[in-house]
Amino acid sequence: MATPDTFQCSVITPERKVLECDANFVAFPAHDGEMGVLNRRAPIVCKLGIGVLRVEIPDPSRPDVRRDKGAGETVKHVLFVDGGFAQVVDNRLTILTQQARKADDLEATAAGQALIEARAMKITDDASFTTRADAIQRAQIQLKLVKPAS
Amino acid sequence: MANRRIIVKRRKSVRNIRKITRTMRLIATARFQAALNRATASKPYTEKLAELVADLSGATESIDHPLMQTHEDVKRSALVVITSNRGLCGGYNANVLRSAVPHLDELSSRGVESDVQMVGKKGISYFRFLRRPMVEQSTHIGDRPRFDDVEPIANGLMDRFVKGEIASAYVAYMKFLSVGKQRPVVMPLLPLTQDTLGEDEEAPPRRHVEFEFSPQPMALLDELLPAATRVRLFQCFIDAAVSEQTARMVAMKAATDAASDMITTLTRQYNRARQTQITMELLDIIGGVNALA
Repeated sequence: MATPDTFQCSVITPERKVLECDANFVAFPAHDGEMGVLNRRAPIVCKLGIGVLRVEIPDPSRPDVRRDKGAGETVKHVLFVDGGFAQVVDNRLTILTQQARKADDLEATAAGQALIEARAMKITDDASFTTRADAIQRAQIQLKLVKPAS
Repeated sequence: MANRRIIVKRRKSVRNIRKITRTMRLIATARFQAALNRATASKPYTEKLAELVADLSGATESIDHPLMQTHEDVKRSALVVITSNRGLCGGYNANVLRSAVPHLDELSSRGVESDVQMVGKKGISYFRFLRRPMVEQSTHIGDRPRFDDVEPIANGLMDRFVKGEIASAYVAYMKFLSVGKQRPVVMPLLPLTQDTLGEDEEAPPRRHVEFEFSPQPMALLDELLPAATRVRLFQCFIDAAVSEQTARMVAMKAATDAASDMITTLTRQYNRARQTQITMELLDIIGGVNALA
């Protein structure tokens, strides 16, 4: 059950529930920039962009520590998300996304390959321009996520 | 005697078949469990998406979206038929195809041409046999449908619908109701209607929440409705996968039982034949002794 300074957070893809936990801070990539969510946020429905989702959950081994945002006493989940929606209602944050992959599951070679392919795409009209830009962004963010690990 | 040997041979082959069908049933059971788990895992997304659509339609006066428009002058429709790649699953494929064909006939009697997108080897070979045209054939979606595989199909349909090339899109698949019950259905996918969007909503009316929307509700709907369509199609594929495994499970159970029955009958026949043979031999010997005496 959520403690006074946490809220429920679930990340759902069409295939499965990726994450379900109590968090004290979540930052998600909204369509127009990153958005942070704390406990008791006002209800919102928001479109997501491509980017990194950070979920900070309290460290269960140190329940006595006061858990403010960014206080450092947290466990972090870092996920790559690709579009979708976020909804906050009743102190529950739900992230609906087509793709959510934990940073550990990403592969540098695959992301690098995707970047090369994305750059090679031809632009013929507006639609193909956005497709290419999205593909490049997707690959770049994945690469950035992978790098710290390797 | 020759008769006896034939019975032994047959019994042996029936036994082998029983071994195979029993194994196939076990495999189908395992796959069914996995497919069912996947189906359950995909439910939250669908439900949440329906909830979001409800939230949004509560916030806007009326929904008017390209995906909800009806094109009455366009005499073309699309039908996605989901069949399996493998056989030995009883009437599964036949039932789906038997519901798809009348649908096509009915549309064509109204002068509407249908583009058939066939998924699964079984449906492809059936339509080839009937010499019915198919616009697209795909066999790469197995019994573990991935969202990435289904998405292009949905996107293609929506694209053509918005451009006005097709007036409607349907999906023919086996709806999974329970382990004992599946029903072939032809589900309308496009155009979207209020009913189809609220289909999954059996929950009591929720209290009204003042949401903050980013971007504006209409812009959100622009994204949300295609997403809802995609996930509806995906659900169909998942349902079909579960139904297929159930059908195979049932079919293989029936086959195993029938093989067991046959083995019993054959064993009985064999024993009788053996008995007859012994009696005959005995009669021969006794006859011979009598003749000598």
